[in-house]
Amino acid sequence: MLGIYIHIPFCESKCNYCAFNSFVAKEEEKEKYLDVLIEDISFFAKNNKRRVDTIYIGGGTPSLLNVKQFERLAKAIMDNFVIEKNYEFTIEANPNSLTEEKLKSYINLGVNRLSIGVQSLNDNSLKFVGRRHNSAEALEKIKLAKKYIKNISCDLLIGLPTTSCAEYLSALNTLIAYGVTHISSYMLQVEDGTLLKEMVIKNPKLLPDDDSCADIYQKMVEFLKKKNFQRYEISNFALKGFESKHNIKYWTGEEYIGFGLSAHSYIGGVRWSCADRLSDFYAHKKGMEEIIGDKEKIEEHIMLGLRCFNGIDLSYLCKLNYNIKNNAFFKEYLQKGILIEKGENKVVLNPDYYSVNNLIITNLLP
Amino acid sequence: MKKIRNFCIVAHIDHGKSTLADRLIESTGTLAKRDMQDQLLDSMDLEREKGITIKLTPTRMKYTYQGEEYELNLIDTPGHVDFTYEVSRSLTACEGAILIVDASQGVEAQTLANAYLAIDNNLEILPVINKIDLPSARPEEVKKEIEDVVGIPADHAPCISAKDGTNIDKVLEMIVKEFPPPKGDETQPLKCLIFDSYYDNFKGAICLIRVFDGKVKVGDKIKMMQTGKVYDVTEVGVFIPGENPVQELKAGEVGYLAGSIKNISDVAVGDTITDALNPTQEALPGYKKVQPVVFCGIFPVDGSKYNELKDGLEKLKLNDASLEYSPEVSQALGYGFRCGFLGLLHLEIITERLEREFNLDLITTAPSVFYHVYKTNGEMLELSNPSSLPNAVEISYIEEPVVKASIYTPPQYVGAIMELCQDKRGVYKDLTYLDESRVRVNYVLPLGEIIYDFFDSLKSRTKGYASLDYEIDGYQRSDLVKVDILLNGEKCDALSIIVHKDKAYSRGRALTEKLKKIIPRQLFEVPVQAAIGGKIIARETISAMRKDVLAKCYGGDITRKRKLLEKQKEGKKRMRKIGSVEIPSEAFMSILKLDDEEN
Repeated sequence: MLGIYIHIPFCESKCNYCAFNSFVAKEEEKEKYLDVLIEDISFFAKNNKRRVDTIYIGGGTPSLLNVKQFERLAKAIMDNFVIEKNYEFTIEANPNSLTEEKLKSYINLGVNRLSIGVQSLNDNSLKFVGRRHNSAEALEKIKLAKKYIKNISCDLLIGLPTTSCAEYLSALNTLIAYGVTHISSYMLQVEDGTLLKEMVIKNPKLLPDDDSCADIYQKMVEFLKKKNFQRYEISNFALKGFESKHNIKYWTGEEYIGFGLSAHSYIGGVRWSCADRLSDFYAHKKGMEEIIGDKEKIEEHIMLGLRCFNGIDLSYLCKLNYNIKNNAFFKEYLQKGILIEKGENKVVLNPDYYSVNNLIITNLLP
Repeated sequence: MKKIRNFCIVAHIDHGKSTLADRLIESTGTLAKRDMQDQLLDSMDLEREKGITIKLTPTRMKYTYQGEEYELNLIDTPGHVDFTYEVSRSLTACEGAILIVDASQGVEAQTLANAYLAIDNNLEILPVINKIDLPSARPEEVKKEIEDVVGIPADHAPCISAKDGTNIDKVLEMIVKEFPPPKGDETQPLKCLIFDSYYDNFKGAICLIRVFDGKVKVGDKIKMMQTGKVYDVTEVGVFIPGENPVQELKAGEVGYLAGSIKNISDVAVGDTITDALNPTQEALPGYKKVQPVVFCGIFPVDGSKYNELKDGLEKLKLNDASLEYSPEVSQALGYGFRCGFLGLLHLEIITERLEREFNLDLITTAPSVFYHVYKTNGEMLELSNPSSLPNAVEISYIEEPVVKASIYTPPQYVGAIMELCQDKRGVYKDLTYLDESRVRVNYVLPLGEIIYDFFDSLKSRTKGYASLDYEIDGYQRSDLVKVDILLNGEKCDALSIIVHKDKAYSRGRALTEKLKKIIPRQLFEVPVQAAIGGKIIARETISAMRKDVLAKCYGGDITRKRKLLEKQKEGKKRMRKIGSVEIPSEAFMSILKLDDEEN
């Protein structure tokens, strides 16, 4: 079934590592953006209100929308789509912009999952990456949110220079104690055009090396496993039943419609995006468009399947004319236990190798 | 025929051959000055860049002397020691040779070698003293040197400056006066020598010919005497320079011939062309085959380009008979060719031409020499490929080729040079003071050491002042071993080397260290070992890769990630797989440059 993604590109300030399409905006700008967003939504649904079962509002910082703005947006979604019974509705929030008033309006309009950008519980690390909250605020907001929403996810950044392995584990412990049901944990990436990149150029030894990051990640995986958090995707961990249904759509080749700046859609074998520049977006211009043919389907199936629990379906690949069993690496990886057979036609990546999946995936492509 | 002069110019490298050729073309008005470019006859980019002549290029010039018009055919020749073979080919098409000697450098090794080649071919030799515009020029001394060392009269030698044009007309005059006209009989059946050839995409193989008897024109049926193939002549012409079709070529003339010869291997340089309907009885003697001395494997980086590589080698072989190649299969590098060369420069030039002219990406393995391997069962094997060496227990002893090396240097570097030669297992022969500023040091050195990095070390130790000449001096018994490289316990054939026992340990260590740097980390730990037989002599470990992931995959922008992976996949084409270890193709070349980093 179709999923909806809505992009809210506003932020209170840009984080040092952020390469996403986000910026600091004034109130009028936000209103105008919402107008165009809602026009796009109703245009899409003009002749056909499609059924959906996941809604994801991401950013940027969606919690920067005030209550009235959020209500306009949520109403537009409800008016233009038919929402399935067992739906998942996620909104991303930052600790400092999340308020009780907003939480109340979220649940009134059907939000049932909250993703909080905690990133770290070490105040030096938070400062280092340019976040505006501290750890006490973050915990306070989680506690508050938990009063209204059961399913709470937190983002954590690995690879920060000022946090020790023990601190990472203790942060996980605290978050779980606060009732968090889902953890997304990424390695800090130094992207081109970010402040962090400049900092690293000036001081190449600023960040911990790959090996020590990998060590920490491994410890965290083990810790989360003990706490019954299953690693269902390379950087996502959840208690049973709390996996993100929306994100799983991306990883299993399901259809999704995206609204907002740079938002991507994939429907009927075509992937396209909205414009990357605000002025183009206001003119309802498209960004990219690509027909996903058999070759692309094969590549994406392998690339995405090996990043998550889903694995790859050999009969599906065969139907697309790729007999992966003839790939020398495939045989070698099965033999070495890097790939694991699940039933006759399914193969998953051994989670021990998630952190090096790039090399494995490249070798398995046709 | 009395008005024809066929001649070539021979010299030591850098004594000004190509510049004199340019001046002759210019002063005879063959080309207008505006059409001239430096080193006109060096048509390959590579030749101009390196400032050397690799291929022969004939040119016809008109020159009027005492009211009579003469036809001068100049055949340019290469000067580097690696290309002696090419020189001897052009000589057979000529009656005379200009021997250029640099007025300040004097007689050098290749002056001598080329002069003897010309004498062997019964050519009339005209010595010319070049570069008299230089302040260090000493023309009178050099003339004496020519008489003493080369043993030919030189008092009449014109003193010229090819650079500024001084006395060029003197040279032209002497060409007419000194060199004999060609002999031959137009009425006899056609007999001409193919002294070179090249491939033209439209006309097929083009033969560079010297007509000895008879004549040839468009429409004639000709026969290659060696291969027996018959062709219809579609074009005959001369170079002015560049192809210029003419009606016919007669006895004594030099030019080219095309005959829609599609199969380039049907043109054998040195073969005799005759009239198919009225053939001559006896073919011309042809050429003696030269033996390559340096060998290496050449493989396409992209395995699917094997046929393009084969095609390229075939086309280069067409006008470079000294190039040898045979198919080779390497476990590590797949399908390629084992190629033989006249020297390292030759090797370098061939690989560069393959890459440029045929748009190939190549992996070359470490250059090697031809070894004589005597087995305990009395058998003798000749081999150049380390991976074909039998097991140590089957080997009684090995002989390697040695060279007589002459190193010319200012005296202050003698110490450094002797140290280098000693280090390269050289045996000291003698030392001669040629004059106050020049010493010649003679050593016998293993060729295997020279082709490794000797030349670079020599230049760096003498600030570039020393020069090296060498000639093969037979084989000598030597304590050689094969060092194998094992990756994750598996032998990588393309990385094996044959080396002297005393150097095996240090070379093994250097190799493993270098490979550790070059081979990227894999999914698992990879031991890199150097071994002699079953004995490990060095080991490094490449630790397992820990982190290789693309950033998070949210918001549905899957296209960008897929494209990143596609790009990485493309880069994988440069990787080779040994067992389960992936190696970038650069690793195979890196072992060639081992010593650079040690120094």
